[in-house]
Amino acid sequence: MFGLNKIIPVEPNINFLGLRRNFLIFSILAILISISLLSIKGLNLGIDFKGGTLIEVSTKNTSIGELREILSSSYSDVSLQEFGNENIILIRLQNKSNQESIETVNSVKNLIQDKVLEFRRSEFVGPTISSELLFRGFQAVSFALIAILIYIWLRFEWQFGFGAVVALTHDVLFTLGLLSILNVEFSLATIAAILTIAGYSINDTVVIFDRVRENLRKYKKLELVDLFNLSVNNTLSRTIMTSLTTLLALVSLFIFGGEVIRPFALTMIIGVIIGTYSSVFIAVPTLLIFKFRPQDEDD
Amino acid sequence: MKNYPFWKSFTVVTLVLLGIIFAIPSIIYDEDSENWFLKNKINLGLDLQGGSYLLLEVQLDVLYKEELDNFVDSVRLISRDQAVKIEKIDIQENEVVVFFGNKEKIKDIKNSFFQMYRGVTLQINNNKLSIKLNDEYRKIIQDSAIKQSLEIVRKRIDESGTKEPLIQRSGKKRILLQLPGVKDPERIKDLLGKTAKLTFHIVDNENTSALQNNLAPFGKIIVPDMYDENTKYLLDKRAVVGGENLVDAKGSFDQTEGHAVSFRFDTEGAQKFGKVTTNNIGKNLAVVLDGVVITAPRISSAITGGSGIITGNFNAQEASDLAVLLRAGALPAPLEIVEERSVGAGLGADSIAAGQIAAIIGMVLVCIFMILIYGTFGALANVSLIVNLFIIISLLGTIGATLTLPGIAGIVLTIGMAVDANVLIFERIKEESFKQTKVFQIVKNGFDRAMSTILDANITTLIAAVLLFAFGSGPIRGFSITLSLGVMASMFTALMLTNFLVYMYLSFANKKELKL
Repeated sequence: MFGLNKIIPVEPNINFLGLRRNFLIFSILAILISISLLSIKGLNLGIDFKGGTLIEVSTKNTSIGELREILSSSYSDVSLQEFGNENIILIRLQNKSNQESIETVNSVKNLIQDKVLEFRRSEFVGPTISSELLFRGFQAVSFALIAILIYIWLRFEWQFGFGAVVALTHDVLFTLGLLSILNVEFSLATIAAILTIAGYSINDTVVIFDRVRENLRKYKKLELVDLFNLSVNNTLSRTIMTSLTTLLALVSLFIFGGEVIRPFALTMIIGVIIGTYSSVFIAVPTLLIFKFRPQDEDD
Repeated sequence: MKNYPFWKSFTVVTLVLLGIIFAIPSIIYDEDSENWFLKNKINLGLDLQGGSYLLLEVQLDVLYKEELDNFVDSVRLISRDQAVKIEKIDIQENEVVVFFGNKEKIKDIKNSFFQMYRGVTLQINNNKLSIKLNDEYRKIIQDSAIKQSLEIVRKRIDESGTKEPLIQRSGKKRILLQLPGVKDPERIKDLLGKTAKLTFHIVDNENTSALQNNLAPFGKIIVPDMYDENTKYLLDKRAVVGGENLVDAKGSFDQTEGHAVSFRFDTEGAQKFGKVTTNNIGKNLAVVLDGVVITAPRISSAITGGSGIITGNFNAQEASDLAVLLRAGALPAPLEIVEERSVGAGLGADSIAAGQIAAIIGMVLVCIFMILIYGTFGALANVSLIVNLFIIISLLGTIGATLTLPGIAGIVLTIGMAVDANVLIFERIKEESFKQTKVFQIVKNGFDRAMSTILDANITTLIAAVLLFAFGSGPIRGFSITLSLGVMASMFTALMLTNFLVYMYLSFANKKELKL
């Protein structure tokens, strides 16, 4: 039997908790910046949530400039974008009413018919639907967070639940902030990614909490800070391994999975990194607020 | 093999074999297979096989408005019988308020009206009668409109030649369509966008002042021409016969008139049509489709055979589409397209190819990584990982789930996350190996200690996936399905299959010590 895991120190002994103040400041700053970005710049909402029309075409003997010229003479609010390679172009239009949009798609198709090899995709989301989708997205995320919390609360003491909420909220806000900076399109798939991140981050947190709980029973005399440090170190190689394998799969999805899925993969990559970070540096230190043992009150 | 119960290995091996066997139909992908077994394969979502998803909304407001208009007509008739003058009629969103010249007979009018319409709330206030649509009445209108619309939409889609369409009610007033393989979504949208209400009306050519003032007298309506908005006709409001009496319609070609639609009435329609054309020779008969006059030819002789043709400036496609619409019948109310997602077959095929490459590369990377880190144990975990993938595929095929592009993303993600359970187990085994030397005891403790953590960790992911399914739509549901199946399969493969493989390996290799 061989394996590189023998290189990793058998009993890592890194003082994670000692660094907690630095990371706390970093995270608070990141969250504040995220919140202000979200309220000032906002998210790059896709048609799922903003409504509108999107047409993807593959072209022949033409350039994005030429298509833009043809279309912008008829539509003032048209935007074009290369999608993956220069022969594939995304056309976006904002429309007012449902009826108008259907006619728009028709006339856009007619205008560029002879420049186009294939109409790969056309999507239209009406104003009523987009607001419904946004509402349902929020509903899904909130219910998921509540359900996860209830589960943690049932399985652990409530203090762990609190730590998990803090970490989860941190992850969601931080991820949204980065999506805003990077101008990643926010779509239904992004909601799915955020929920999966929530699941992943809590998964990571639960593994460490599990160990904290076990160690609390095992080492009754150990200082809480040391006990938490020990728990994080115990689970460290698992935390790293799982994050790395998940990231390997996600990077593969990001590079090879195609243009449509790329924003989803990017969101997940960001979220997995943040989720892993928060389990160690946010969720566990949050537990220090609480006195888990009677004798700690004498400290 | 020491301490490894037979029933356990039997269960593991059977489940793994079933997982692989049931994945075969989806992997070898044989179109139109006659073999029952090979039919059990994954359905591809519209985003992967190409096709159109449409969400239509029935414009119920139009129907309520129509019903209120009917109320107005009835009140006018009743008050004419009772010789009561109407001063003003106020049509609001949900009610009609009629102001009478005097209030003596208002009770009688109310009672007569109530004889005709039961589902209304009538209120008298001095000389004012307000007629309000009840909620139940609205609901009856709504339900019958949706039911009828569904039927008509289904007929139209069938006529258009779309194979295996899915047409169903969605929510209170919407209809959801999934049309796999549709190449020209614009034509489908055209077919669905028309109400196709066809009626025949006698034209009033005598009352020219009405047209000049653009004010139709009671019992008449003004309708514009289909091709020229400025040409208007004054028609009898009552249709002599309508599209509901048609039994057949098809596109035809006439030497002098060009493309036309020929139609045939049922017995009742033929009788009505014959009677009207006999009594109105010399007058014009307008053919009205969705509020515009297609044509209004002069009746030169009685038409008693019950068939005829409609001419207009049609081309071949328009004539045959109109025939389709007339055959399928009129929608009770207009439909509005509120959401559309159409994907061409090219993009779908590209997405499948890209998804496969991403899955294979992700898989290879994770496998290499696991072997690098855990050596032989990593290789055992990789066997579990591959079986895990087979199980996901076979479950998707067996439960008839639909694989979407986000669903493929879910599978790739699962590849990364599925090894987590194995990692948890191996890390526990590693810890245990420092505490004692008995190889099988180490492994047993490792699995036992990791178990509760694995359950806790995976259940939280499952909660997120289930809620995603409950609140998500279409493609996103595909993601939550593959993610949940992946999580569940990974628990099985880690706790049972890896367990089995580790015991097998340790017994056959006859290991005396374990250093992970």
